[in-house]
Amino acid sequence: MINEHEINLAKHCVRFAQENGADGARVVLSKSRTDSCNMLNGSLDKVSHCADRSIYLYLFVDGRYGTFSTNRLVQDELEDFILKGIDMVRMLEQDLTRTLQDPERTEKNARTGLELGLYDESIEHSDSSKRTARAQEMCIFGTTAEGCTILSEECEYGETSDDTFITDSQGFEGRHTESVFSCFSEMTIQDSKGDRYSGYWWESSSSDSGIDIRSCSRKALERAVRQIGPKPRRSGKYRMVVDTSVASRLIAPVINALNGSALQQKMSFLDGTLGKKVFPEGMTLMDLPRTYGRNGSRMFDSEGVATQDAPIIENGVVRKYFINTWMANKMGMEPTIEDASRPCLMPFMKGKELPCGENEVSLEDILQYCGNGILVTGFNGGNSNPATGDFSFGIEGFAFSRGKITHPVREMLITGNFVELWNSFIAAGTDMRRCTRWQIPTIAFEGVAFSG
Amino acid sequence: MNTYSHYLDIFKVTEQQLQSLVGTALSRGGDFADLYFEHTTFFNLILRDGNVSSGGFHTDYGVGIRVLKGEKTGYAYSENLEMSEMIKAAEAASAIAQAGGSSLSYGRVSARTTPDLYPMQQNWRDMQASAFLPFLLDLEKKITSKDSRIIKVMARLSDSVSDVLMYNSFGELTCETRPMGSLSVTVVFQQDGKTENRSISRSFRMGAELISPALIEEIATEAVKGIDERFEAIRPKGGQMSVVMGAGPSGVLLHEAMGHAFEADFNRKGQSIFSEKMGTRVCPKGVNVVDDGTLTNNRGACGYDDEGVPGQKTYMVTDGILTSYLHDRISAAWYGVAPTGNGRRENFRYNPIPRMRATYMESGNAEPEGIIASVSKGIYVEELSNGQVKIGEGDFTFFVKSGYLIENGRLTAPIKDINIIGNGPQALADIVAVGNDLKIDNGTWTCGKEQSVAVSCGMPTILVSSLTVGGE
Repeated sequence: MINEHEINLAKHCVRFAQENGADGARVVLSKSRTDSCNMLNGSLDKVSHCADRSIYLYLFVDGRYGTFSTNRLVQDELEDFILKGIDMVRMLEQDLTRTLQDPERTEKNARTGLELGLYDESIEHSDSSKRTARAQEMCIFGTTAEGCTILSEECEYGETSDDTFITDSQGFEGRHTESVFSCFSEMTIQDSKGDRYSGYWWESSSSDSGIDIRSCSRKALERAVRQIGPKPRRSGKYRMVVDTSVASRLIAPVINALNGSALQQKMSFLDGTLGKKVFPEGMTLMDLPRTYGRNGSRMFDSEGVATQDAPIIENGVVRKYFINTWMANKMGMEPTIEDASRPCLMPFMKGKELPCGENEVSLEDILQYCGNGILVTGFNGGNSNPATGDFSFGIEGFAFSRGKITHPVREMLITGNFVELWNSFIAAGTDMRRCTRWQIPTIAFEGVAFSG
Repeated sequence: MNTYSHYLDIFKVTEQQLQSLVGTALSRGGDFADLYFEHTTFFNLILRDGNVSSGGFHTDYGVGIRVLKGEKTGYAYSENLEMSEMIKAAEAASAIAQAGGSSLSYGRVSARTTPDLYPMQQNWRDMQASAFLPFLLDLEKKITSKDSRIIKVMARLSDSVSDVLMYNSFGELTCETRPMGSLSVTVVFQQDGKTENRSISRSFRMGAELISPALIEEIATEAVKGIDERFEAIRPKGGQMSVVMGAGPSGVLLHEAMGHAFEADFNRKGQSIFSEKMGTRVCPKGVNVVDDGTLTNNRGACGYDDEGVPGQKTYMVTDGILTSYLHDRISAAWYGVAPTGNGRRENFRYNPIPRMRATYMESGNAEPEGIIASVSKGIYVEELSNGQVKIGEGDFTFFVKSGYLIENGRLTAPIKDINIIGNGPQALADIVAVGNDLKIDNGTWTCGKEQSVAVSCGMPTILVSSLTVGGE
């Protein structure tokens, strides 16, 4: 954790920069520690201990701007570093759109870093024997699985603490502290024909009790086993269901296209869409960064601007561009927030009432709703064109018929355009994983082009 | 060439202290220990909206300490090079030996010298930002003068210089200074309300002499090349078809379909689809595939790898037969062979693992035009971006930024933005022609296996008889 001496050092950097010619300065001090334990086929394979620290300096000098960083946190060296930084900034061309943020918009209450309940103090009392025991608990190598041989099991248990303190020459001070407990398993199996398959699973939580260590390898094994015996599927247009574990892959390019930098550089397929209905009525995407105790929550962005819960896309209408101070000045727009923190896609079923009360909308419900098609459970490579929204991705998954999975499919591709894809959006469940920062549930689309 | 004492001075350590740290690291019974000291300075300048108005520099400094016991690894690092802090890291890494288990016989490396693969005429650290501003401004001017449809140009110059000192429990002391310079540009075009873009980059392990009028002209010319075709490009009808991979960046096919699966850690753990294929035919006769750390100034060049093993040229496939995996010290000891100089890491925060360097296929005998003429229906791949592979299954993909349809042996309609998927062993077996035009691609290729490492790739024109092509 960041100590008082280091906080004072960060504040000193701001003062020193101002005393030596900077009109404004922001300093970001970060410290993190990660301890992890890896197992290979039931035996200890690797232990590692990582402790990082860094200072980032954002210097505004004579209408010019530069960024600098170092992991040498010694006052004399930092002062020399700042002087060299100021000298370099003066060599750059002027950019009067580079300014510090409006101080009225900054977060005022992030004083301890603990306000959002994302830090479990028990991490400070953990030790290598506990971590080794946790990693050993994950292992199932040596057990049997029907129809296959387990070739390899890799497990990792890790504990990370992250602490960030930001201060600037306008008096802003903010702190954000998180702990992360995580487990990851990857299984490689071989079927009776000698074909290999692999599967992985992971969980993470800010709380020590928030992850299910013992089921991690079992789930990875299940994901490998269920891929045995893939059958080819003809190229064509199918209903596509995308499992919650990978669904964020299809929303990330939409959020990237709402970023001010992409918009300003004309590298966005959503340029000129603010306030317009670009997507279908049932598509609502919220940013919910102020939820207590949930991964992805944060009180301020990297400029110190306070976050707020707000719609990004509401019933198909684009409600928010992510505009930081620099982009706001460049584009002549009101600043918002620099990017999405914790986007959440709201549940939806086209032409059907959503189940009420305690009923969750699960993957099974969505398969039933869709009837026939292809369930995507993994993406294998691919990319998209940020200017046009055209995409093409490799996929793996399962064919399904009458709401039931029939057989695995592999070596297939989906190709299309993101605006067109989301306009064929027909369903979103409520089964998002608690451990992910982006809360995107299982989703479904009509008429997606598959090649195989 | 700098002397050992130059590097010892950078990190303010003596040989006696190095010996002492290795002694601490092995105190609980490890088989082998090594230290990796690194001091890197980074610098960048960005041109955007006609101005070079953003830039900065960054410093990273620390030591990674590794202990091996059999195949097991203990790893810790310190950003503070006070002896007391380094001892704590050595003790943390040494704990792996307490887990017990069998040992491996780690051997000395026989060859200990290597030529200077990245000579710097002008050290980046001696340069001021003001020296580069005119080049970036000239680049923008040259690009915008070539096409009236250009609406945005963004260019980025970045460089780094790393001083590295390695010491291990055999007493082998290895030092070198590693430069890297990169210049990249993204250009956005608009025509009749449609927007397209092109990105071009060049990256070399060399000094600031890289930034020259000739390079600016080369990148400016390349940045506007083929934009007419890009506006006209279609997406083909998807499905299985013949694919001609053009010379140069198509080397990403080797990187994904073959290179990762030949990295010995995946094979040692039984995870790779090639785990039991050593000595067997994996490609047609006549095909040679190389992973090469000895190309002077190349982005993937390794004078020494990050375990102090001299850089080498490693034939993975010789005349179609799988002849070598890519080894770090662990896998080499496990297989009982010499390390191949592929033990690489992102920086001192990571332990080294087997990684590629410059991966390419040697030229064959076919004329590229003849290869295209032999295809009645398929696609020609010209520019690629990212790729990915599933090691166990061998399924790989790569993204085609631009290319052409092939119809009756001729290049016809331009195509763009499609993914291609295949299975490694099958795709290698399906190579039916290899051109005589090997070309190494000098873009900013970076491999992301657990850690980010600079690599490069190359390929002559080749024909793969069947791959699955994305389309509508």
